[in-house]
Amino acid sequence: MIHARGLGIRFGSQWALAHVDLELLSGDRLLLAGANGSGKTTLLRLIAGLRQPAAGELLVDGRRPTRERFGARRALALVSHHDYLYDRLTAMETLRLWNSLCGGSGETRLDDLLAEVGLSAAADRHVGGFSAGMRKRLILARSRLENPRLLLLDEPFASLDPEGQSLVERWVGRFVDDGGTLIVASHAIERASRLCRRAVLLEQGQVAWQGDASALEAAWARRLGR
Amino acid sequence: MNLLRPVLLLLAKDLRVEWRGRFRFLSIVLFGGITLVLFSFAIDADDRAAATMAPGFLILALLLSSTLGLSESFRVERENRALEGLLLLPVEPAVLFYAKALGNFIFLALLAPVLLPSAIVIYGVDAGLNALLGLLLVWLLAAAGLAAPGTLYAAMTSRASSQDVLLPLLLFPLVIPVLIASVRSAALVLHGDPMDQTRSWFIILLAFDVIYWALGGVLAAVAMEE
Repeated sequence: MIHARGLGIRFGSQWALAHVDLELLSGDRLLLAGANGSGKTTLLRLIAGLRQPAAGELLVDGRRPTRERFGARRALALVSHHDYLYDRLTAMETLRLWNSLCGGSGETRLDDLLAEVGLSAAADRHVGGFSAGMRKRLILARSRLENPRLLLLDEPFASLDPEGQSLVERWVGRFVDDGGTLIVASHAIERASRLCRRAVLLEQGQVAWQGDASALEAAWARRLGR
Repeated sequence: MNLLRPVLLLLAKDLRVEWRGRFRFLSIVLFGGITLVLFSFAIDADDRAAATMAPGFLILALLLSSTLGLSESFRVERENRALEGLLLLPVEPAVLFYAKALGNFIFLALLAPVLLPSAIVIYGVDAGLNALLGLLLVWLLAAAGLAAPGTLYAAMTSRASSQDVLLPLLLFPLVIPVLIASVRSAALVLHGDPMDQTRSWFIILLAFDVIYWALGGVLAAVAMEE
């Protein structure tokens, strides 16, 4: 599903990511960990095709995401720090627009989706008035409409209450049970580890460690010299 | 999915979002009206001179109003990085361009019902129904000639912090042919056409519209992507 060899990107003269090798097969579940500024979000944005790599090779579903964007992006959905929402649209209008642009149909499905993320009562409210947690729930519902085979989650538990965090776990659990491929960038290591099998620890834009997700916390502590 | 359906979906979204923030449209109409009034003070001339210069002032008012509207049209896409969200969907950048350009064209066209009669009154132009309809046609062609390159440049500069300065700097030189052709057409429509030149100017204006709209679709990917 993902093949990256010697991947790198720089902002100005500073390399934000360098020499990153990554292989993900269909159905793999990877946790990306690392301190702030270690390159987790940048790596997700490269995979999503929102940035052009300055070095190395990157294939997503056999395609280069920036050059063959149409095919590559059809395979993936990104739930990012930025929620990509229009504040003056309602929750239902947002889902309806996404559903139509992704070639879907069926109003009932949208009602069901909103109910699933606990936003039925807010379906006709403008998104601009939503709390951060409600926005996160809406973009989770929206990501489902893209029917992705690869789901990229950037800090999926941020801004969510405990119930919302459990919702993400259930949601993502169902996605991976259906054979989807998952990459989660998160500081909530304990919770994210439950969703992932493998983990990669990034330090200053480079892969510092990789292995089993359950061993990540100990490996990170060792690297920090604790 | 054909191209027309997503263009119409995105256009409907833009019109809905604009309608819910219609204060912006009203302020730009007001800006256009004030521009016309200021031009009338600037020339300090008799009625005949004002009427002679009316076509030029009218098209300049459209041009100045358009820069405000064009840069603002991408503000809603910058909020929450909504444009990036659309780029992640399997939607061609040309679709995003044509939807936004059509929205901007409608926006500029809607200035006509206020600014055309205002100019007639302010500059004391003696215009019959045929002249008014001809002037409306010039306005629509000029609006089309501004909307396409303006949308392209607004997309390119939307991530720049100095967009308000960059947009007119890039746009004004490019639309000089549209400006000349529309001022000449409007003058011939209002003041008579003894040499039968109106048709030629209309064709020139239409030709630039076609070129700009075609090029916009081709260059959209370069303008929209980061």
